[in-house]
Amino acid sequence: MKTTLNLADADAFYEQLLDVHGGLTREQSELLNARLILLLANQVGDPQVLKDCLAAARQRLE
Amino acid sequence: MSTGYADAAFTNGYQFTEGTGYALPEYPFVEPPELKTGELRRYPVVIAGGGITGLTLACALARQGIAAVLLDEDNTVGVKGASSRGICYTQKSLEIFHRLGIYERIAAKGIQWSVGRTFAGKDEVYAFDLRQQSGYNLSTQPPFINIQQFYIEGYLVERIYQLGTVDLRWQSRVSAFEQGPEFATLTVQTPAGEYRLQADHVIDATGSHSPFRQWCEAGVTRRQGDDRWCIADVRFSTRPPIERHTWIEAPFNENRAVWQHLMGDEVWRIDYQMAPDTDAAANSREDVVRERLERQFGTDVKIEIVWVGPYAYRSECIDEMRHGRVFFMGDAAKVVSPFGARGGNTGVADADNLAWKLAAVLKKRAAPRLLDSYHEERHEAARQNVLVTNRTARFLRPADGAERLFRSAALSLAREYGFARQLINTGRMAIANPYTQSSACSYNEHGGVIGPGLSVQNVSFNWADGSEGVVNDLLQWADGRLLVLVFGALSAAAAQRLRALGLGWPVCSVQVLGAEGSAQAREFVRDPKGHLQGACHVFGHAWALVRPDAYLAASGEAVDGHLLQAVEKSLGMRS
Repeated sequence: MKTTLNLADADAFYEQLLDVHGGLTREQSELLNARLILLLANQVGDPQVLKDCLAAARQRLE
Repeated sequence: MSTGYADAAFTNGYQFTEGTGYALPEYPFVEPPELKTGELRRYPVVIAGGGITGLTLACALARQGIAAVLLDEDNTVGVKGASSRGICYTQKSLEIFHRLGIYERIAAKGIQWSVGRTFAGKDEVYAFDLRQQSGYNLSTQPPFINIQQFYIEGYLVERIYQLGTVDLRWQSRVSAFEQGPEFATLTVQTPAGEYRLQADHVIDATGSHSPFRQWCEAGVTRRQGDDRWCIADVRFSTRPPIERHTWIEAPFNENRAVWQHLMGDEVWRIDYQMAPDTDAAANSREDVVRERLERQFGTDVKIEIVWVGPYAYRSECIDEMRHGRVFFMGDAAKVVSPFGARGGNTGVADADNLAWKLAAVLKKRAAPRLLDSYHEERHEAARQNVLVTNRTARFLRPADGAERLFRSAALSLAREYGFARQLINTGRMAIANPYTQSSACSYNEHGGVIGPGLSVQNVSFNWADGSEGVVNDLLQWADGRLLVLVFGALSAAAAQRLRALGLGWPVCSVQVLGAEGSAQAREFVRDPKGHLQGACHVFGHAWALVRPDAYLAASGEAVDGHLLQAVEKSLGMRS
């Protein structure tokens, strides 16, 4: 799992991520996020990277 | 009173209608020698339970001439007390039944299918054709045949009677059990009274309500969900296509899942997912079932209900498949939900796995330690089947919240993108489970060939005279011994070593040549299309050590000491 920046333009991506949710209800936003995770996971592919990302995302939530 | 429908008790009863159901065979109770003379006898093998698993084992042992006793509490097949009896038999099971001599009858009665379609709402999400998949197309048996389980059981019973050697004892219920260092003792209740018998090996094939689990204090890992299903086996006036149809969200079933599958006698199995924790009795009433069927097929189609059976999703897996003299198999060892046909088929494979090992040990061809590999191999299979079916169950009954959200996401993506179709899990069809941790298999350490522990498909080849043969013919010829197939030309020294191997060990060797070339070994066959080589997972000059259950025990290149070591290992004579 990469922990240093891998995005060419972090601010632009962050803005796109917010914009794509524009005008959606909370439920639609949740579905969009879930679809996005599945699409991105398929881009990553590597099972160990995916496992590390899942663990990192879960950290310190409880 | 004939209503055309027997009220389904929700005790997992398997009940048939009076007028329209099946006529099941009945087998006679014969007073056993123990009751006639009062003497106490000891048997090498006693099998408890005459379902598909116990009967497969009995039939396989009978073929090897092993004098076993099978005790069944009923006097028929298709017995009461089992939920969701099997309908779908895998290529591996069909290959086993081919070896046992009942495949032709199954093929004549059953329905072959290979196309499956999955729907969500009104849309088809994806479809598959198993015949196009390389894993299935080499065998002389089809990917799947659908047939009612009791037909197979009935064929097995007749075959066992034909073969002799195994004593089928009907209306004989095991009521007590104990085991010691010398033997096990079983108490049996019959209409003519109670008796006891002794056994060297006891097979528990009594199903999911096994009393042996308690008698052996066997640990069981359990999982129980709130998912409820209701099966309707029906006949139609107009028949749907011969395909497996699955709805994840069926509009005609309150957006819950539905299965649609054809069996023998033009009977269809329609399996409806119910609301969580639903009242099984109410949902199995004829008027409720009929209304459900009409919602799916319309009111114009005339429907005859043959059987209704509700069941609750659950999984169970015994921690040890061997407890002393007792070997657990089939549903007695593990229970899975029916997704992917991983119940009955793995029971058949359990039986086939133990049968040749028991026969080899009893004939002193193998060391008793070989029997421990039964747990190693079949518990790995059981764990895998529990894992796979639990994943399907979770997809089909997602918990509210994130689980349901991701299913919606996967379904919506699957309509557009190929990758997401692989996330749609309506059941992963059963396969011949690979054995990756068996003490009886010799794994190739340095990567290279991946093969030991895999099933060898029943492919065809040519005998020396040009006529066609199949792998099962070779196994039958080997008659419970190991089979060494050597591909390509043989040096004089290698041919000599193979002859010596055959004299000292229970091994039969066959040279496998291409379309051309002359043989150096006495026994040879031709494999012009390379199917036999492909089935053995080897390439070029190689040997393959094939077990009587059509699993590859080992493979290698040179006919040398490694082959002898592999033979010893596969007979439990080397750790």
